Amino acid sequence: MPYTVFKDNREFIKALEANDDLVTIQQEVDWDLEMGAIVRRVCEKKSASPYFKKIKDYPGFEAFGAPLATYKRLAIAMGMKPDASVPEISNEYVKRTTGDPVKSILMDKKKAPCKENIWTGKEADLFKLPGPMVHDGDGGRYLATWHFVVSKDLDTEFVNWGMYRQMVFDEKTMVGPVLPFSDMGKMFYGKYVPKNKPMPFATVIGCDPLSGVAACAPSPIPEDEFTGMLMGAPVELVKCETNDLYVPAHAEIIIEGEVLPDIKIDEAPFGEYTGYRTSPREPRTVYRVNAITFRNNPIVTVSNMGVPTDEGQLLRSFSLGLEMRKLLESQGIPITGVFMLPESTHHLVVVGVRPAYSGIASQIANLVFGSKLSPWFTMVVVVDNETDIYNKDEVIHALCTKCHPIRGIRKYEQAPGTPLYPFADPEERKWSRGSQVLFDCTFPLDWPKASIPIKVSFNNVYPKEIQDMVLKNWKSYGFKD
Amino acid sequence: MAKKEYDTFILIELSQVPEDKEMEIIVRDLTPEDRRYKYRSFYATAMISKSESKYPDRLWVRLGRGQLQEKPWSVKILKEVNKFSY
Ligand SMILES: Cc1cc2nc3c(=O)[nH]c(=O)nc-3n(C[C@H](O)[C@H](O)[C@H](O)COP(=O)(O)O)c2cc1C
Repeated sequence: MPYTVFKDNREFIKALEANDDLVTIQQEVDWDLEMGAIVRRVCEKKSASPYFKKIKDYPGFEAFGAPLATYKRLAIAMGMKPDASVPEISNEYVKRTTGDPVKSILMDKKKAPCKENIWTGKEADLFKLPGPMVHDGDGGRYLATWHFVVSKDLDTEFVNWGMYRQMVFDEKTMVGPVLPFSDMGKMFYGKYVPKNKPMPFATVIGCDPLSGVAACAPSPIPEDEFTGMLMGAPVELVKCETNDLYVPAHAEIIIEGEVLPDIKIDEAPFGEYTGYRTSPREPRTVYRVNAITFRNNPIVTVSNMGVPTDEGQLLRSFSLGLEMRKLLESQGIPITGVFMLPESTHHLVVVGVRPAYSGIASQIANLVFGSKLSPWFTMVVVVDNETDIYNKDEVIHALCTKCHPIRGIRKYEQAPGTPLYPFADPEERKWSRGSQVLFDCTFPLDWPKASIPIKVSFNNVYPKEIQDMVLKNWKSYGFKD
Repeated sequence: MAKKEYDTFILIELSQVPEDKEMEIIVRDLTPEDRRYKYRSFYATAMISKSESKYPDRLWVRLGRGQLQEKPWSVKILKEVNKFSY
């Protein structure tokens, strides 16, 4: 069943406007830092998305900032009511993405909006697109900050959509980190590089909002089919001009080319999702461009990674947490929910559980730290089912009172990590080495019942009739809240 | 004609950077004729000096995490090096 969702960003922009969550900026803005600074402030203040109508040096181009940096925008993108709660959005996401994948369909090239303009050869010049200088001090202009890269496995039909940032190096070259444990990393470094074969790619900029959500989700389902599940309808794809890859027909800009197996060039520094510029400037994966196709008056999407909350933190937390939930449920662990805090820059996940047996917190940590998801987070906080996992105050209270500072904490060393961890030393960053920690905030089951501390809260230590009476009389006591 | 300006990222101790020697560096063009090409990077064979006046063009220096150094150096770009076979 199709949900009320948007086939492109233009429809999504209109929906944000209708929900009073868009600021249309008619005044000319500069791609060189000004646009980035506006988007950064929007993320930090949780303001409405900016829609830039006029970009200095680039007449005819527009930009759309912070497309999904709040839960409200995510709810709108999913076709839900804008004030849907995080548990409501989470349950809807899990419901839609559990079941049969929805295969994409092909669209006739002549009808595909992303083919309205086609540049090949010398004309396919990256500086003709308004790639922003996002933060002062970045290694270059990042044209691809909210986008995805399409690639295909060398020996199988497996196609990957993944969000891997791309910095403009020169007219024909982009460069970016492709971490070795990512799907594209395994494909490229595992198969193309050993055979010294260039890997065709297509970068999709300005896709519909749910394709973006799918591209940064760590699901095992192919991302185009995953998008179809979120939309409740197939994604419409169209073939590239210069290779055999397929891209969403309604996207704003497509950059086609090859990832080179025999050369790396320096990329970064860049303001990253942790809220710091951390990963080193070092030789990274090189993309050479053959063609650029785009819609009339194309709208570039601009995400600005930095201190919380941007869409990278919000959506990666959201989908990492929910993939963990699916994993733990598939193993029959009696969890009550999983919530990864966006403010933790997706480093901390809270798992609620009915403590049915001893060692359950370790079992949870072993499973999630042992999964494909693990390089991206470092802390698991396991709380019992009395704690509201979505309530930060309750989680902090549980962490500080129920977790034994020695016995409740378990360290996991020699784990895969990323070069992006601000706390890691330079050698750890160089080799993407991580470490992880479990905070077990459940009381041990072997304690005598009489020794178990009783939570002193309004809901827990007063008889029901007293609670009811107090609630009934609250206003008459003189309280206004 | 006004000096051209470039910048580069120095990833070693600044005191270790060799001066007045031909070497290959990556620079970014900060003053292109067409502003759309600002920050275009290229590999260059160049000579650099920590003195601002020694070579014709100005070279701003950034450290590994983007920190801009207060005083610019100078650079003479001898040639652009193409790293790609096509
Ligand atoms: C805005 C944004 C930028 C990202 N940039 C990169 C990147 O440059 N390199 C990388 O390996 N992963 C990056 N990621 C994480 C991947 O998108 C993420 O791991 C995604 O699940 C990739 O899918 P995969 O499971 O197909 O590897 C980024 C995520 C976001 C949200």
